[in-house]
Amino acid sequence: MSEDLDEIYRRASALDPSRPSEAMRRRVLEHAAALAARPRPAANRARWRPAIFGTLAAAALAGLLVMPRVFNPHPPAESADTTAPAKVPPVVAPPPLASPAPLASPPPLAGAPPFASAPPLADAPSMNAAPAPPPISPPQAAAGSRAIAPTDASRKAASRVDALAQSGAAAENPIASAQLSSPPTDPSAALRRAAETGDVQRLRAILGAAQVRIDAPDARGRTALMLAASRGQAESVEVLLAHGADPNAVDANGTTPLKAALAADQPAIAGALRRAGAR
Amino acid sequence: MPDAGDSTVADDSDEALIGRYARGDAAAFELLYRRHEMRVWRYLQRNLRDTATADELMQEVWFAVARDASRYLPSARFTTWLFSIAHNRMIDSIRARRRHMNLESLEHGSDEVARQLTADPSASPIAAAIARDEAAALIRAVEELPREQREAFLLQVEGDLDIEEIARITGSSFETTKSRLRYARTKLRQTLKEFA
Repeated sequence: MSEDLDEIYRRASALDPSRPSEAMRRRVLEHAAALAARPRPAANRARWRPAIFGTLAAAALAGLLVMPRVFNPHPPAESADTTAPAKVPPVVAPPPLASPAPLASPPPLAGAPPFASAPPLADAPSMNAAPAPPPISPPQAAAGSRAIAPTDASRKAASRVDALAQSGAAAENPIASAQLSSPPTDPSAALRRAAETGDVQRLRAILGAAQVRIDAPDARGRTALMLAASRGQAESVEVLLAHGADPNAVDANGTTPLKAALAADQPAIAGALRRAGAR
Repeated sequence: MPDAGDSTVADDSDEALIGRYARGDAAAFELLYRRHEMRVWRYLQRNLRDTATADELMQEVWFAVARDASRYLPSARFTTWLFSIAHNRMIDSIRARRRHMNLESLEHGSDEVARQLTADPSASPIAAAIARDEAAALIRAVEELPREQREAFLLQVEGDLDIEEIARITGSSFETTKSRLRYARTKLRQTLKEFA
């Protein structure tokens, strides 16, 4: 019976007039002929070499990217301010783990942040405002710094401090006081630093006193909100959002505050960001 | 280029022909194509019941054969490889159509799906032209089988594949494939009996 069925089926198929199109047949045969005319790799040609090299290269690259984070998962706040590491006077404090000779720029694999010379969380001077300062003596009090031969950068910084002093804000908030008693600093850098260290008092003071762009990014495109989110500083996040920080800012790596919070396993912060419109 | 003195002959095995083509013998491919053209065509056309799509997939299948000839492993029968390609292309096409047509019942192989997949009712010309003929009735019955049964049956009769090969190609177990074939054949025999 099975043979009968197959036989009837074959007979039916022979009667079926439907055929593939001639145009398709021609395209197939021409394509096949064209491929046959081209030099082909041998059937069993070893393809493992490029695969091995590719894998090794990828692994090496991944290692280079991950190692600094593994050995120093929480770089000091000052790393956010780095725009020109070469501007750090090597005589002040050579960065830990850096190469012995003062380099034009820190070695990328050193594992230390470019501003490792400054103690973590210290209110070190930002180099953002100083285009190319010559090696100078260690930071001095603002009054003292004005006594030495001023550079363009120090002049600018001093004028900022003067403006703050004149506004009267310095007398009643710590950040202004700090700025008067310590070397001048970029307000946006100070903002980011306060945000990521959770220094809410200082954060509020900066936001209240200085003309600062709340979403001013650091050299890697990270905003104060991102840094606060990535460090789990929930209160900083709330303050920044309340002051209108952009919850959808994107840094150079495509990270947003929300992604940073999720990566840092901070669901509460992620929730706050979402409520503020983060995507 | 083909080896000197290594001319293609019509009674070469499929495996030998694809090997020759992989070494640059275009005539071997043409022979292979002519040998299996109608079997692949019928497999696609009767499963899809859409001549235009079958034509399109036919080209894709043979392009893939030409492109991957050097990767063909002689340990497997050529027809198994060929119908694996055809099956995969067809499933991709059906899935794409399902997304397009929002057909939810496709996975269950219902006749409704088969009907919706038929863009043109006249795509089965033999059934329309000689509907009272036994052959036409059988072809129609094949086309109306549930998809899995139809596919298994066509792989068996067109691809000349055994149950194990069909199971492997369709990603089903041996027993499931065996059942599908049994159901398909029972229905087709019933059709023939009614016709008689």
